[in-house]
Amino acid sequence: MTVLPANDIVGTNKSRRPVGLLLVAAPVLLVCWLIIWPIISAIIRTIWLPDAAGEKRFSLETYQFFFSDQYSINNLMVTLWTTAVTALILLLICLPIALYLRFATNRIAAYVQGLAIFPMFVPSIILSYAFIRVLGPNGTVDLLLNAVHLPHIRSPYLTPWGPVLGLVWDNIPLTVLILLSGLGNVSNQSIEAARDVGAGRLAVLWHIILPRISNSLLVAVSFTVLGIFSAFTLPYVLGPAAPEMMGPFMQRTFRDLNDPTTAITQAVIAFGFCIVFGLFYVYSVAKNRAP
Amino acid sequence: MKRRSFMISAAGTAAGLALMPRFAFAEAGKIDVYFTSDQNVIDFWTNVIKPKFEAANAGITLNLVDGGDSAGVQAIAERALAALPSGADPQSDVAEGFDTRLPSGGIEAGLWVDFSAAGLSNYSKINPLALDVPTSLPYRGSQVLLAYDTTKLDPANVPKTWPALVAWIKANPGQFIYNRPDKGGSGGNFVRRAIYEATGNDPAKFTVDNYTQELADASLTPAWDILKDLSGSLFDNGAYTSGNTQSVQLLSQSAVTMIPAWSDQALSAISQGVLPETTGLVQLTDLGLPGGFTKIGVFSNGVNKDAALKLADFVLTEEIQSAVLTELGGYPGVSWDYIAADLREKFKDIVPTSIPVFPGGDWEKAINDGWYRAVAPNVDRTAA
Repeated sequence: MTVLPANDIVGTNKSRRPVGLLLVAAPVLLVCWLIIWPIISAIIRTIWLPDAAGEKRFSLETYQFFFSDQYSINNLMVTLWTTAVTALILLLICLPIALYLRFATNRIAAYVQGLAIFPMFVPSIILSYAFIRVLGPNGTVDLLLNAVHLPHIRSPYLTPWGPVLGLVWDNIPLTVLILLSGLGNVSNQSIEAARDVGAGRLAVLWHIILPRISNSLLVAVSFTVLGIFSAFTLPYVLGPAAPEMMGPFMQRTFRDLNDPTTAITQAVIAFGFCIVFGLFYVYSVAKNRAP
Repeated sequence: MKRRSFMISAAGTAAGLALMPRFAFAEAGKIDVYFTSDQNVIDFWTNVIKPKFEAANAGITLNLVDGGDSAGVQAIAERALAALPSGADPQSDVAEGFDTRLPSGGIEAGLWVDFSAAGLSNYSKINPLALDVPTSLPYRGSQVLLAYDTTKLDPANVPKTWPALVAWIKANPGQFIYNRPDKGGSGGNFVRRAIYEATGNDPAKFTVDNYTQELADASLTPAWDILKDLSGSLFDNGAYTSGNTQSVQLLSQSAVTMIPAWSDQALSAISQGVLPETTGLVQLTDLGLPGGFTKIGVFSNGVNKDAALKLADFVLTEEIQSAVLTELGGYPGVSWDYIAADLREKFKDIVPTSIPVFPGGDWEKAINDGWYRAVAPNVDRTAA
């Protein structure tokens, strides 16, 4: 009995290639139908506009309006700011948690992991109202501070920091899980070897661990950025009235102002920013898969 | 083996066929009602309207479906609009709390029943203030009033006119908040009251079809000035909550002293203990804060259109309209003359004889967009 080489499963045998392509055909067609086509149709709808007489013609006026309208630009800027700040804070919080979970061997680590994954099971609308209760004005934090005679804090509720804090909490599980899977690639031997030649903790982190998980960092940042950019509930409930993030802004333009063309324009612009991170993700996955 | 697989597939097909009609077609005699309103309203339909209507109309049942919000029901309405040209079954009969101007083109295509021509026996009883487009049937109303914390503000000193309210807000910075006008009617109607104030307190100046850009500029700009002037004295130097519920929450957490609130929401919040017993309610006496009417629309292509029209007529009967007042804490959609005399007497003190109703349509769009552009951003939130 001959054992086939393992790589034959992925189709190095040329005669089996069509089967592999057929297997991926269904998801590819679904993606084309449900994602690629709507994107193309959205872009067409924003540049192929009816003029005063109702004749359709090529025009970039909706984009010109967006980029000449200070209010829209402010909304885009606050979205970029929120995304950048949230992604940064997430990495700063989640990297230590992931490192701890990777190297700790005691029972407490299991509880920490459970706690870090917990936000995944909390719907964001419930989180929003809980946030108002805890961090809002006269909330639990205020009451505790007051009880020990500490000064009143200014609540982040209804300021741009409200959505940041909510989004950080909401995105911790995904980021921790991605970083943890990346840390699985770091072998104990390489760390021990580095320690044997006298590397300190920071040197191990900088020269051994970070280079190994750079891919996971990229994936984690791409995922969180995509999620935060399109966030709706938390910015809607916790954020200020103005400037608003793109999610609530698009929804308001679409529904309250009943102006689908402008809303789609905003969506295409948001998509333009997101695709950069999408490409990062695709690039890093492709790099990983390369033999 | 072959026979067995044949049996299995045949059984599967039969089961599929048996199930299919239930999923694919609306049942005759079962009216599908989709709601945008909150749970308390759906409870009212479940406990009051449904049993009474089904008892009065044997063979017809109501299927009450929570459509979530306006966008949820709009998706249902769009499905019905798409089904209209082909005569397909839209699987929906009634939309509650939904603006029948949407989806755009629906009225022109004849998606909604025109109630003014539908021959409803109770149609003439409707409060003329409540009528909007003839495809929307107003059946209940509610008004915004001011809810305040009597432990911090003595009811004897509570502001009862707009100028007194403005003076109070400025004298007590950080103690008042209203929500963004598009996110809930309590803040929305507070903003509309400011528009009345800026234009001489005459609700008749605004009608659903007198919107023009010039009139909007002339009447909204001074209102934005009034509101901008207030913003620095609001909670947290000009914060605006994102809904009626959040305002109520801030009042209940004692973070503010006064909010505008829907009458029915405030009453039920007090009775459920969400707001404390010490919450006071007051209406402005120079001109009340506006209110609004909730409407129902009937799909013209629904399978149960005739039964749905019977239902529409039924909710306007004195029995149901009185229940709106007693069970729901709302205002009737019909004129007060068509409410039981004892109730008219009982509620005459707390329910004003007139509710200013600000028209929707283009005005709503102009107010929402104008407020976001003129009032919300022009605040220095960092100021101490």
